[in-house]
Amino acid sequence: MAREHGAKRRPGGTGRVNIPGLSTMAALVGLWELAVRSATVELEFLPAPSGIAGAVATLVATGELFPPLLHTLRAALVGWVAAGALGIGLGVVLGLSRPAWRYSMASIEVVRAIPPVSLVPVALLLFGFSLRMELLVIVYAGAWTVLVSTVEGVRNLRPELADVGRMLRMSKATAVRKLVLPSAMPSIVVGLRLALSLSLVLAVVAEMVGNPRGLGNALIRAQQALQPEQTFAYVVTIGLLGVVLNAGLRRMSARALPALAAGRGELA
Amino acid sequence: MTAATRAPAPHPPADAGDVRPPLPRRGRWDGQARRAPALPPLGGLLPLGALLLAWELRGSPGSPYFPPPTTWVDGLGALWTSGRLWPATHQTLSTFAVALAVATLLGALLGLLLGASAKADRAFGPTLEFLRAMPPAAVVPVAALLLGYGATMKAAVVTLAAIWPVLLSTRSGVRAIDPVLLDMARSLRLSALQRARHCVVPALLPSIFLGVRVAAPVALVITMLVEIVTRIDGIGALIATAQRSYLSGQVYGLILVAGLFSFLVNGLVSVAQAYAFRNRPNR
Repeated sequence: MAREHGAKRRPGGTGRVNIPGLSTMAALVGLWELAVRSATVELEFLPAPSGIAGAVATLVATGELFPPLLHTLRAALVGWVAAGALGIGLGVVLGLSRPAWRYSMASIEVVRAIPPVSLVPVALLLFGFSLRMELLVIVYAGAWTVLVSTVEGVRNLRPELADVGRMLRMSKATAVRKLVLPSAMPSIVVGLRLALSLSLVLAVVAEMVGNPRGLGNALIRAQQALQPEQTFAYVVTIGLLGVVLNAGLRRMSARALPALAAGRGELA
Repeated sequence: MTAATRAPAPHPPADAGDVRPPLPRRGRWDGQARRAPALPPLGGLLPLGALLLAWELRGSPGSPYFPPPTTWVDGLGALWTSGRLWPATHQTLSTFAVALAVATLLGALLGLLLGASAKADRAFGPTLEFLRAMPPAAVVPVAALLLGYGATMKAAVVTLAAIWPVLLSTRSGVRAIDPVLLDMARSLRLSALQRARHCVVPALLPSIFLGVRVAAPVALVITMLVEIVTRIDGIGALIATAQRSYLSGQVYGLILVAGLFSFLVNGLVSVAQAYAFRNRPNR
């Protein structure tokens, strides 16, 4: 397909620098600056991009930005890794064992339907304002996602592959290691990607309503102090963190699984 | 069918000289999902039922952390009689519905644009990518600063989060449109309107629906998120308030309601999809 230019990018590579894309972005930012400067936009709390950049610079210069940034990053990553381990482990078991699947999947589907965000208040009840509460929420939300996609991946092993395993007289453990896990990997990676963006979202939410540390809390405090520049500065930081985390994972999975680079799970 | 005919064929008998062990039987790991029905067996509800029962029997009604299920119902009953449950349900669901509708419309239009023009896609790609990576929670304070605390702000944040699945799915749908379809429209000399009505929209509907399927749960979650974070209106606000006052029975009851919504939404989307494509042989 010639029109699908996205496919032209080398897997794992950064590709060419997208000049029209970056200039559009710059033009939009410029337009925003102009609109605020010329006061055509009558919004009381809309800062100009230059003001936001200034706020970011100040936050970096005073070092005020880094403790919350590190806190959020650490919470999101630790929670994501724990959720991934839990989800993949349980997912493989449920995918392999038919009785376990039969007598638990419906329960899992029901429990999973509860929006994880609504459990933030419960976590607050249980652990109060703490890092543990934040991690609990992140792990909880991420683990379901990884679990379900792992189960899907494991159960969708192609019958031909299973026959290969039988023909080579693989033990069950070998078959899991050499056939089941590799063939489930694309599905697992999709789950992991979803879980990563989810863990950043929930880290920020947990910090906004509960844990008095991190970017979410800094954001809320800036907003309540009616400092739009700082508020936007934190929002931009969080957005950049999201972009970096997502790009990092995509890069890693593209390197580990070249076949995946065709953009599966793009909907996530 | 008798049991004998359904049983798997036995392995062919090994030669007398063949001392290798027989091939292992087909294992549990060979592509069961292909044979399994779409819905997991209802027996799977047993552990949940057992858990809830044990919770009810062993839990103490006064527990601030794990109140037994009957107190959830009591909590909901209290909210119902005080007349707060119904308005909150209405607010949550209407925010959700409005935002999802707007997101579907905008997402489909933007997806159409970006899918049809590679130039536009390349030009707006990075900006959209950045907006997409923005956690919706982080957008809330900004939206509150700009739009104030109200229904508009809620709907705007939810729309911003729910638009991406529709946009991306429509975009790839446009790219996958069969060129023959458009050629045919041209040779039939259809007007632009006719072409849209008879070719483009029907061809894109499956991708748009796929996007909505992903977007609907997202929209619901983000609605709850906004309500919990800002504590304005809706079920999420009730949960946050109940948690502040340590009414844990109410918290769990309301979470149950949220789960119910999510079930309802998923079911509705499936039904709508089945209805929209009832005349298509294979989707």
